[in-house]
Amino acid sequence: MGKLVKVLGVAVVGTALVASPALAKTLKIGIPLPLTGSKAKFGEIERRSYEIAAEEINAAGGINGMQIELDIQDSQGKPEIARAIAEKLVDVAKQPFLIGAYSSSCSKAIAALAEERKVPYLVVTGAANDITQKGYEYVFRMNPSVEYYTSGFRGFLREVVKPKTIAILYEATDFGTSGSKSMVKEAKRLGIKVVLNEKYESGAVDFKPILSQVKAKRPDVIYMVSYVMDAALLMRQIKELRIDAKLFAGGAAGFAIPEFVENAKDAAEYVVTATLWSPFAPYRGAREFAEKYKKRAGKYPSYHGAEAYSALYVLKDALERAGSMDSEAIKKALAATDLVTAFGPVKFEAKGKYKNQNFMDTLVLQVINGKHEVIWPKKFATAKYVFPIPRWRDRRR
Amino acid sequence: MVQLEVFLQTLVSGLLLGGLYALIGLGMTLIMGVMKIINLAHGELMMVAMYIAFWLFHLLGMDPYVTLLVTVPALFVLGVFIQKTLISPVLKVDSILPENQVILTVGIGMVLQNLATLFFTSDYRSTPVDYASDAWYLSDWWRSSPIELSFSVPWVVSFGFAVAITAALWWFLQRTDAGKAIRATAQDKDAAILMGVNVERMTVVTFGLGAALVGAAGSLFIPMYYLYPALGGRFTLIAFVITILGGLGSTQGAIIGGLILGVFESMTATYVGMGWAPVGRFLVFVACLIFLPGGVAGLMRRR
Repeated sequence: MGKLVKVLGVAVVGTALVASPALAKTLKIGIPLPLTGSKAKFGEIERRSYEIAAEEINAAGGINGMQIELDIQDSQGKPEIARAIAEKLVDVAKQPFLIGAYSSSCSKAIAALAEERKVPYLVVTGAANDITQKGYEYVFRMNPSVEYYTSGFRGFLREVVKPKTIAILYEATDFGTSGSKSMVKEAKRLGIKVVLNEKYESGAVDFKPILSQVKAKRPDVIYMVSYVMDAALLMRQIKELRIDAKLFAGGAAGFAIPEFVENAKDAAEYVVTATLWSPFAPYRGAREFAEKYKKRAGKYPSYHGAEAYSALYVLKDALERAGSMDSEAIKKALAATDLVTAFGPVKFEAKGKYKNQNFMDTLVLQVINGKHEVIWPKKFATAKYVFPIPRWRDRRR
Repeated sequence: MVQLEVFLQTLVSGLLLGGLYALIGLGMTLIMGVMKIINLAHGELMMVAMYIAFWLFHLLGMDPYVTLLVTVPALFVLGVFIQKTLISPVLKVDSILPENQVILTVGIGMVLQNLATLFFTSDYRSTPVDYASDAWYLSDWWRSSPIELSFSVPWVVSFGFAVAITAALWWFLQRTDAGKAIRATAQDKDAAILMGVNVERMTVVTFGLGAALVGAAGSLFIPMYYLYPALGGRFTLIAFVITILGGLGSTQGAIIGGLILGVFESMTATYVGMGWAPVGRFLVFVACLIFLPGGVAGLMRRR
């Protein structure tokens, strides 16, 4: 099918009217994204974010004097279509670089093509570990791979909390199950004993039965993989039962969004959560981007949005340093990237099996005085972490 | 001692949950008893009540418990409206499907859910009250208590309201003429007509009453839970299980059935695993159908 969705930045139209000859040149950037199908929600988030970035860049004069024109094409989330789109971009449109795609499977398909045609490819959201483990020369990934998603939280556990036991509660979905599995693996590596690993029915009313089991086991850390409403109910009922763990930790986005604090209120205090990115991220431009996005979409973007938004800036930076539209020059420039974006620092490195992979410390947030504060890694901290946390009984009401 | 604490805490949670379940089940049971139909839009009616409570809280800052004063009459009117304009005409029509009123209720439920999605989006809503996570503790009264039990404030208050409403219903059915007429209609429709009971009006009142009961349950649930358009199905199912467990149409049965289900679910969550709670619910359902076809009411009658 290949439904073509043309997206023109408002700024492009604006400057076209002024008709300055120097700005007449445009740089068309083709991006495959799932605009239909089951992953359309994320495709939509990324599309909006690319648009915001394109408008900003165009308003500031474009890339090397060229105005950006986004050409977002629907991959339906299918690798074969994503590959076909990329093929057309390279062969027909003669685009000297590739960028984007949402899922790991699509990114993988495009990565193989990029390597074959010797065209540099910037992976934005595909997180499967092996994309940058195949020794590809032309594939660069700015988002951390799955195994590094919670690297910040791991560091915090290892260096500050040093727990001996952990209890894991997770929702009975794919998402919850994989979250719990990786935590169990992590605990083994850190020598932490898993005293309880229990799934629950998402949307349950009463968590107190399972929580009283947790209480009886007295774990140092209670780790929960939950969506926001379950997360709020869990913390509220933990407070009711006065379960005093050294640390309450959320393993997923449910704990990192403002709605969590709104619903759990004072029960949310001191809860720690690992996150790739949040609107509270301490990087320059993060907050501005989040607010701009919220104005358009009515809610804050997920980390996917920040990744897409920042990807365009990484590309801009590389193209400007390359100074030409030659694939080899762009590849060299990408490899030398050293940039702090709204998503975080971007620098492509080889480490272990990885090649051209961005290794960034993911963030750890803690709710302090009813606000999410970044507490880890230390260099990005907006507040000093609170640990050990006070017992429920001693907290001011 | 630790295990005793776990057991007692589970029992407390189960009973509190069961009391609220009973209230949800009561409405459906009442309608079942008088009209001989299962109202499969029951959970959706509760959802409507919860949205009313949510907006009253959100726009007027009304406490969720105060919204009872609005949700109960509002749902009574909605129930009467549904019965008069939709169910009553269908009851009169001869059709190839013997239970077409039941199917109609499924349709009503779907319409309500889709309307809610349309108007309020599928976002989660909640009424974050300040006392949401407050609790009373056993050690507050009994300093040297060897075990610690907690009694959540909103749960206990909701439970108290549920008991009060159930008692009021009891009194209404036993002591008032209208209540007696409803019971007469439930026992034998033809005899009731012969005795001069306005059966038509009684069915309308019953449906309104059933809706009002589940409306009350909505107001009582929202301080401790949250709300989204698709939430109805889950509670319809719970009400259905309780109605079967209680022995179709018996109010005492529904109360005991609700408590049994609440405790059973909590015990399953504690001792088998929380992921098993929905399985436990159906186990009760199937076991009841096979071994106790008359439900709790049948058991009481046999004695």
